[in-house]
Amino acid sequence: MSRFKIGDRVTVRDIPPLFHTRTQGYTRGRTGTVVALRPEWVIPEDEAWGRYEGRREPFYIVRFNQRDLWPDYGGAALDTLETEFSERWLEPAS
Amino acid sequence: MATRATSSSSTYAALMECVRSHAPASHAVANLPLTISQTRAEALLHVVHDVGGQPDGPIDKTLHKPAHWEKSTHCTAECLAWRGHWVSEERRRRENDLGETLYFGTPYYARWLLAATKMLLDKGLVTPDELLAKMEEIRAREEIAA
Amino acid sequence: MSSTTHDDHAHPHPHPHAPIEEKGEAAEFAILEAAIRELSIAKGLFSAEDHRRFMEWYDKVGPTGGARMVARAWVDPAFKQRLLADGVTACKEIGVDWLQPTGSGTPSDYTYLITCENTPKVHNVIVCTLCSCYPRPLLGLSPAWYERPTYRRRVVRWPRQVLAEFGTIIPPDVEVRVHDSNQKTRYIVLPMRPAGTEGWSEEKLATIVTRDTMIGVALPSADWTVSSTPTHG
Repeated sequence: MSRFKIGDRVTVRDIPPLFHTRTQGYTRGRTGTVVALRPEWVIPEDEAWGRYEGRREPFYIVRFNQRDLWPDYGGAALDTLETEFSERWLEPAS
Repeated sequence: MATRATSSSSTYAALMECVRSHAPASHAVANLPLTISQTRAEALLHVVHDVGGQPDGPIDKTLHKPAHWEKSTHCTAECLAWRGHWVSEERRRRENDLGETLYFGTPYYARWLLAATKMLLDKGLVTPDELLAKMEEIRAREEIAA
Repeated sequence: MSSTTHDDHAHPHPHPHAPIEEKGEAAEFAILEAAIRELSIAKGLFSAEDHRRFMEWYDKVGPTGGARMVARAWVDPAFKQRLLADGVTACKEIGVDWLQPTGSGTPSDYTYLITCENTPKVHNVIVCTLCSCYPRPLLGLSPAWYERPTYRRRVVRWPRQVLAEFGTIIPPDVEVRVHDSNQKTRYIVLPMRPAGTEGWSEEKLATIVTRDTMIGVALPSADWTVSSTPTHG
């Protein structure tokens, strides 16, 4: 079962990267909105280290306002960025 | 414990400047520093492929016609995945493991090639002796052909 | 210490020495590539036939599948709805099967497709900051600039400047939406059908859908095809 639903505000957990990651540094600690639910897949943290049949989790596409990602964002206020996270990376926005 | 630089968007932007300072056009030779600042340690441990948001110059739109070895590397990497010897996420992790000099300093498919080679060695699918002997054989063959 | 003169210290090698000369393409990677391929085949890790099939695939893929997909979506609203709902399934209708021959080989690369529809209010652009994920079954192999770090570094933070370098100016009242492809999903941009193409056939429409318009760094135009040559008129 997916923990989050479309429209939920979520914050990306700031787990230190250790040699490899699929969660971009620029998203860590940032808050956005879930815009799409993706099927369960093996998490990249397992696949990257050879556990091909590793833990499976739901994935989510999260939309961020660019101004919440970059303090000096120079484009329009309505500009956004979307990227994807496995469930372990997200927590409800406080 | 020091706060990590990802904790706010402004400190993250500063970290990106520091990460970029590791790869200037030319830089001093590294010499096993005796101490290191937290900021520099974080910048060095920042995963090499995570480049989004780093300052850079104009985009070089030069196109590249792949050499035979580049094309063949792509296909070998895919065949190794197709037959269950690795997956693409493992390949990407192994590209990062090559380190910054090789990651940024070689053509795109050289990263795939070096990652595939080390995977074969790490898993014992090929031994270093076999690889060296095969490379010698190919070198000799190519010289005769030339 | 000065690096330009050697007068101030004892030096073990004679002067002056010529700078290291770099010429020609490295043979090293070609030798290593042949070595691991031949060893892999000899040990049965994969077959020569497997490799040949992928080499054929590599030569065959290009942006024509994507162009067909966009043109079909422009003329067939029901196809467009199927495409937006389930990209991988809808692609079979235009002869692109994401699950063959490479699907079993690289499930991480070829699993899901999301089509990002441009509208008068939203302009989409795709990137993969962490590597170079790209919708290869529809667009072929990515252009070098898509793989190299400069585009990956900048487009997520300065998208409008990057688009401007490709000659694409997006009005400030249109949202620029960057899609950073970082997991299993692949993305492609469905551009808006340009003015002046009314009544065109699907085949003719496909000729103006270029690779860059499906990455999102360019916009299609009725007077521009992949084989056009710029003229001054």
